[in-house]
Amino acid sequence: MPELIAPIAGNVWKILVAVGDKVELDDELVILEALKMETPIYCDDAGTVTAIKVKEGDAVNEEDVLIVID
Amino acid sequence: MSRKQTPLRPYFEKMAEIGKELREGEVRRSQANVELVREQEEIIAKEILRVKNAGIPAEKIHQRGGMTIHDRLEYLVDAGTWSPLHSLYNPNDNVEGCTGVVNGIGKIEGKWAVIIGFDNKVMAGAWIAGQAENILMVTDMAKRLNVPLVWLTNCSGVKLMEQETVYAGRRSSGAPFYRHADLNHLGIPILNGIYGTNPAGGGYQGISPTILLAHDKANIAVGGAGIVGGMNPKGYIDEEAAQALIEGTKNFKGKVPGRVETHFDQTAYFREVHDTEQGVLDGIKDYMRMMPAYDPIMFRVAEPAEPRLTATDLNMLLPANQKRPYDAIQILARLTDNSEFMEYRPEYGREVFAGIAKIDGFPVAFIGNQQGVFPGYPDYANGEYPGVGGKHYREGLIKQGEFVTLCGRDNLPIIWLQDTTGIDVGDLAEEAELLALGQSLVYSIEQTELSMMCVVLRKGTAAAHYIMCGPQANNNNAFTLGTPLTEINVMHGETAAAASYARRLVKESEAGNDLAPTLEKMNQMIQDYKDKSQPAYCAKSGFVDEIVSLTDLRKYIQAFTGANYQNPRSITPVHQMLLPRIIKG
Repeated sequence: MPELIAPIAGNVWKILVAVGDKVELDDELVILEALKMETPIYCDDAGTVTAIKVKEGDAVNEEDVLIVID
Repeated sequence: MSRKQTPLRPYFEKMAEIGKELREGEVRRSQANVELVREQEEIIAKEILRVKNAGIPAEKIHQRGGMTIHDRLEYLVDAGTWSPLHSLYNPNDNVEGCTGVVNGIGKIEGKWAVIIGFDNKVMAGAWIAGQAENILMVTDMAKRLNVPLVWLTNCSGVKLMEQETVYAGRRSSGAPFYRHADLNHLGIPILNGIYGTNPAGGGYQGISPTILLAHDKANIAVGGAGIVGGMNPKGYIDEEAAQALIEGTKNFKGKVPGRVETHFDQTAYFREVHDTEQGVLDGIKDYMRMMPAYDPIMFRVAEPAEPRLTATDLNMLLPANQKRPYDAIQILARLTDNSEFMEYRPEYGREVFAGIAKIDGFPVAFIGNQQGVFPGYPDYANGEYPGVGGKHYREGLIKQGEFVTLCGRDNLPIIWLQDTTGIDVGDLAEEAELLALGQSLVYSIEQTELSMMCVVLRKGTAAAHYIMCGPQANNNNAFTLGTPLTEINVMHGETAAAASYARRLVKESEAGNDLAPTLEKMNQMIQDYKDKSQPAYCAKSGFVDEIVSLTDLRKYIQAFTGANYQNPRSITPVHQMLLPRIIKG
């Protein structure tokens, strides 16, 4: 089951999908905010969002799981 | 059997391919960005049209049987090579909407030249505010690139109602005459096509170039007919003096001085006189064919080639949202021949890239900011904070300084792709010597004899805008381009508002006062920063020499490169270059 991982530490600024959404390769799913920059997290495979492990405003560490896609 | 090849073929013929095609999803999600780029392009295009239509309508000039400056340029410059500069430059906000000159770089008869002409629709080419600075930027460019300067003179002299804005001062409208003398002294020819009435300032504008070619209705003179009339001894104008002026003007039968009868037939200042406007331009073309220019084969290291990846991708790749990172190598891949690049020390100083590429088969250097986040970097931060793309750290500054120095040794012109938020700050950064290393890069640039061009892709901020060969590098920077996404300011508006009002907020808060008035001032400041950082403002104020569509960047880079290799003052034999060997190891 593919997991979308935080590439850097930061805060979850926006979550652009909900559980059950169908997503495509390269869709923008989450935006992290760190060091005054927005880091968009893109979907690296098509599928359906089965779990969202974070909420907006959460602080995340590098390698934390953000979203699970089936 | 004879055999021929380009030099150092193993290094240059095929370099490492960079960049990759955009995937369907990347294209899909970038459409909003394409729209934002297009919106900015429309703003710029509208402004350029407004400037082009400044002054009297072109039809009036045509009805008189004349040509506008734009007609003249179109006739003179080789098709497809005109690369305009300073189109929106108007730092004093002149009512004319421009500085009264049109200029750029282009080819005439196959040879690069810096070309400038008075806009004869705007007060018959009068001296107006900001014009001298515009001309000085242009003469500096001809000097830097060592290519001919071509003038289309049609200058009525000072706009007398505003003489204080043009006449006096170190960089006033008289300074170009010294610049012309300087160019002549350096062996850089100035060709001058002269039209219309050119008294006083216009006269010196006419006489100061190297070769003078005139239209048969043109004149150049120390003063105009009106000035020959002299001064009123009373020091003011009363009814009596006004009547005298009226009578004098009505009865004035004299001709303007400095006509072709004088300066062709008697003094022989004019090499040629033509009875058509086109004839003058044909004369300039004749002289351009005589200009010194190496065959490009002399300096090419490979056959010219278009980038493998398409330029229109640039509108998808460069985010309009200034807070978004991107892959700078993907940008570079849309600019260089065959999308190839020979990168210098890629593992060192990761926040910048530097290396050699080919443009039209000529070797050139590129330096630019990488974007994104670099965990575990810089070393001196000891993990306290990660490196961020667009910022400069110790290794990146050292890498740039040594690369520039080696480019100087190898005579590689440098193209800077700037998108920078500044140099790292704080005690750790000071201990890591970033202040001195920033200035060290400035020193490295200055000690070369290289031409450089700078493209501010998005942000040009803080001292980093200076040290990456911004326009402040007067002796090296030939010109600086902005894009539809350029934003130039000392710092972001929000940062500036916080720096300016933080203490006041504390004071008001402790006093239990309403914060609203201070917040209003802060937000006004943020808006003001935004308005005065936009591409059109940058062009109008001279922060950049032109705003160019992303898809046109390569055209300007080709012009810069071609001009550099037309008649270089210094040559490094390609087989004696060091940088390709250092990169290979």
